[in-house]
Amino acid sequence: MSYVDAGYAVGLSVLFLYAIGLVLRRRSLERRVDLAPPADPGQRATEAPPGES
Amino acid sequence: MWRDALLVAGKDLRIELRSRVALWQVLPVAVLSLVLYAFALGPVRHTLASAAPGLYWLAVLFSTVLATQRSFAIESGEGTRDGLRASGIDPAGVFLGKAAAVAAELAVLQVVLWAAMTVLFGVHLHTAWLALVASLLATLGLAAAGTLYGALSAGLRVRETLLPLLVLPVLAPVLLAASRAWSGALSGSVSDGVSWLRVLGPFAAVYLVIGIVLYGPLLEAG
Amino acid sequence: MSDAPIVGRSRPVWVRVVGLAGLVTTALTVWLGLWVTPPDQKQGNLVRLVYLHPPIAWVALYLAFGLAALSSLLYLWRRTRSLFWDRLAAASVEVGVVFNALTLATGMLWGRPSWGVWWTWDARLTSTALLLVLFLGYLALRRVPADPEVRAKRCAVAGLIAFVDVPIVHFSVVWWQTLHQGATVLNADLSPTIHGSMAWTLLLGFVALTLVFVWMVAVRYRIEVLADRTGAEHLEISLAERWAEGGVAVPTAPAPSNGSVELRPPSPVGQ
Repeated sequence: MSYVDAGYAVGLSVLFLYAIGLVLRRRSLERRVDLAPPADPGQRATEAPPGES
Repeated sequence: MWRDALLVAGKDLRIELRSRVALWQVLPVAVLSLVLYAFALGPVRHTLASAAPGLYWLAVLFSTVLATQRSFAIESGEGTRDGLRASGIDPAGVFLGKAAAVAAELAVLQVVLWAAMTVLFGVHLHTAWLALVASLLATLGLAAAGTLYGALSAGLRVRETLLPLLVLPVLAPVLLAASRAWSGALSGSVSDGVSWLRVLGPFAAVYLVIGIVLYGPLLEAG
Repeated sequence: MSDAPIVGRSRPVWVRVVGLAGLVTTALTVWLGLWVTPPDQKQGNLVRLVYLHPPIAWVALYLAFGLAALSSLLYLWRRTRSLFWDRLAAASVEVGVVFNALTLATGMLWGRPSWGVWWTWDARLTSTALLLVLFLGYLALRRVPADPEVRAKRCAVAGLIAFVDVPIVHFSVVWWQTLHQGATVLNADLSPTIHGSMAWTLLLGFVALTLVFVWMVAVRYRIEVLADRTGAEHLEISLAERWAEGGVAVPTAPAPSNGSVELRPPSPVGQ
C-alpha cells in the first residue's frame, strides 16, 4: 500500500467513523429526550425560557 | 487596582512565609528535577552543559504549575473566595496581586536553581544581564498565565491533573524562548539571545492584559 | 431549569443538504485526486495528498479553531452572551481536534516518503502538535461537571487564551527553526506550484471539507443542546423521584443548580 493510499484511507475513514459516531450520538440523545416524561405538568410550564433548537 | 494588588500580594506572601510550603516543597522538587535530568541524560559534562538552559527552564516551568496550584489551594477553604469577592476588591487587583506573589516565589526559586545549575551542570554565565532580563520577562509571563489558569481551574476537583494539561502548552513558548535566550547568555552569542526577548516580552504583556481583563468574569464564575 | 434549552422536534433541512453536498464533493475530490489528475513531475503520485492534507489543515486550524475563538469571545462579551456561542464553540473545538489530528496524520504520511522521517521539529508540525494538545485541554475542561453558565465561562476563557497562544507559538517555533540552520531546512510548504486540473481539484477539496466541517459542527451542536437538555431532565426526574419518596408534592420552582449536585439513585422505599 502506498503512502498516498494510506493517507486517503486514514483521512477518509476517520472522518467517516467520526461522522457516524455523531449521527449515532444524536440519535440516542433524541430518543432519550422523547422518552423522558415530564416530571409534573407544573414543571413544564416553568421551562419557558428562550430556547434554541 | 494597584493598591488592591499590593494587598493581595502581601497576603499571599505572608501566608507563604508562615507556611513555607514553596520553600520546603516546590524548591526541593525543582532542585531534585535537575538532579533527575542528570540521571536521565548521563554524566557526560558536555551533554549536560549544552542541555542546561532547557533543563533549567523545564524545572522552572513545572515549579510554576506547583506554585500556582498552591496559590489557589490556599483559597479553597469554605467561603474564602466568596469573602474575597464580597470585600469589593478589584478583581484585576486580585489577579495582579496573586501573579506578583507567584512571580516573587519563582524569582527566589530561580536564584537557587541557578546556583544549583552552575554547580551540577558546570555552566558559566557569560552575559549576565541578558539572562536576568530574560528571567524577568519569562517569570512575569509564567506567573500571569499560570495565575490565569489557576483561577480557571480553581474549585475543580480534578484540578491537580487538569491544570498541567491546560497550562503547560500555553507556557511552551516561554520555555522555548527563555531556553534560547539563556543559551545565548551562557555561550556569549548575545544577538541570538536578545532576539528571543522579543517573544518573552509580548508574551508577558499579552497575558498580563488578558488576566486583568478576564479575571473579573472568571471570579464570578467560580 | 433556566438552562434547559427547548429542543425542536425536527432537524433543519439545510443540515441534511450540507451533509449530502459534503459527501458528494468529498467523493468527487477523492475520485479526481486519486485517478483523474496526473502525477506531479517532481513528487510523482505523492502529490495526490495535496488534495486532502492542506484542506484538512485549513479546516482544522482556521475554520474550526477560529470559529471556536470567535464564539468564545462572543460568549464572554456581555452584549452577545448566550449559551448558543458556548455550545457552538464546544462543537467547533471537538470537530477541530479531529481535523487537527488528521492534519498531523496525513502530514506524517506525506512527510515520511518525502523527507524520510515520520516527524521533524519543523515549524508547522510543531505548532500544529501543540495546538492539538491545547485544545485537548479544552475538551478535558469541558468534561468537568459544572453549572452550564460556569462551565461556559471557564471554557470560553480557556478557548480564547489557547487561541491567543497560537500566533505566539507559531512565531517562536518558526524562529526556532530558522535559527538552527544546522538542521536540514525542510520545505514545510509541501504544495507545489499547481495548475490545471490539479488546481481545480484542490479547490474542490477545500470546498468539500469545508462543507463536511459545517455539517459536523451542526450535528455536534445539536448533540450539545440535546445533552444539556437530557442532563437537565435527568436532574428533574431524579429530583421528582426523591420528592415522591418523601410524599411531598413536586415544587414548581426550578431547583437551583450548583456545580456539584450528586444524583443518588432513589432508595427502594416501600410504597
